[in-house]
Amino acid sequence: MDGKVIVVTSGKGGVGKTTVTASIGAALALQGKRVAVVDMDIGLRNLDVVMGLENRIVFNVVDVVQKKCKLKQAAIKDRRIDNLFLIPASQSDDKSIIKPENMVWLCKKLRREYDFALLDCPAGIEQGFKNAIEAADEALVVCTPEVSSVRDADRVIGLLYAHSITPKLIVNRIVPKLVEKGDMLSHVDVVDVLSIDLVGLVEMDDAVVVSSNTGNPIVQQKDSKAGKAFNRIAMRLDGHPDLPVEDPMGHDSFWRKIGKKLGRKKQE
Amino acid sequence: MSFNALIRKLLNKPDNSRSVAKKRLQFALVYDKLEVKDDMLEDLQKDLVEVISRYFEIDRESLSLDIQRCEGSSALILNTPIVAAKHQKKNQEARAGA
Ligand SMILES: Nc1ncnc2c1ncn2[C@@H]1O[C@H](COP(=O)(O)OP(=O)(O)OP(=O)(O)O)[C@@H](O)[C@H]1O
Ligand SMILES: [Mg+2]
Repeated sequence: MDGKVIVVTSGKGGVGKTTVTASIGAALALQGKRVAVVDMDIGLRNLDVVMGLENRIVFNVVDVVQKKCKLKQAAIKDRRIDNLFLIPASQSDDKSIIKPENMVWLCKKLRREYDFALLDCPAGIEQGFKNAIEAADEALVVCTPEVSSVRDADRVIGLLYAHSITPKLIVNRIVPKLVEKGDMLSHVDVVDVLSIDLVGLVEMDDAVVVSSNTGNPIVQQKDSKAGKAFNRIAMRLDGHPDLPVEDPMGHDSFWRKIGKKLGRKKQE
Repeated sequence: MSFNALIRKLLNKPDNSRSVAKKRLQFALVYDKLEVKDDMLEDLQKDLVEVISRYFEIDRESLSLDIQRCEGSSALILNTPIVAAKHQKKNQEARAGA
């Protein structure tokens, strides 16, 4: 059966596309799927360093598209996680070197070879974005709880709909304390404004920074909140769409504490 | 409503930055979409002129259609001088046809 090509996009830069792509890719592979993560940020490659595979690049996605090598030759196998492969971007080319029709061809190959191919989209809505969404089957839109990021997400969602793709939302870098204090948009606000399906909530987590420093997958750090969130998103994408989205506010909200106390009393 | 929001309401404190952010966002999104579809306003104007002309004789040239941002909402404002009502005429035509 053919696999799925999922584009990870955001409009605004620096909101966590590359982190999301690397983490969900790793999580899906750990769940036993055959996964390729593809860096579509041609000219500004990042996914390789986040995954700790920067020293093993020989061919890249532009080589594949230009048929200078086979898809399999460009796919770098992760040695820590079985069935996880990275197809890196080229660092020297311009985004316009890949044409939308190349993407149709590439995605067809990816579907044949892998259960999931995650495309890490560059920021912006220009050629690089258009290439990345051209032949994707599904889309994950990443945003942070900030006005500018949500606004850009809305624009990108509109463009995806216009391309007949129904996107799902990931809200990243949530700081529960700030939300509780009333100084950060909550995920409820964000979903309310964007009105699309939510597939995951990821807290701001120092472990993400540490894992990108070392190039180790965050999803293998069992005590990381972000790691757990990414694992759950991967499960939702892979056959468990109804797995409930955990509310990061849930841990220490006043009402929940009261509710728990009352609940305990009743049981006594 | 969160506990903090409730307290704020009770103490009549000004909106926190979270609710300010949400309001600004909602406005921005409405606005962005209108901006993206500039030709949509033109089409709408044409359609409106056509519909209004069925009932009133209007000065097509001086008709204006604008989007104005007011406190709390965005408004679509149509402004047109009416030259004459066509109501009568239409009724007469209908009667003549019968
Ligand atoms: N949940 C998180 N907690 C803490 N830091 C995070 C989180 N998500 C992302 N970051 C950090 O934010 C920064 C930007 O993330 P990332 O590179 O994934 O964004 P991007 O959307 O791919 O950026 P670009 O648009 O430049 O490609 C990185 O330093 C990353 O480590
Ligand atoms: Mg990136």
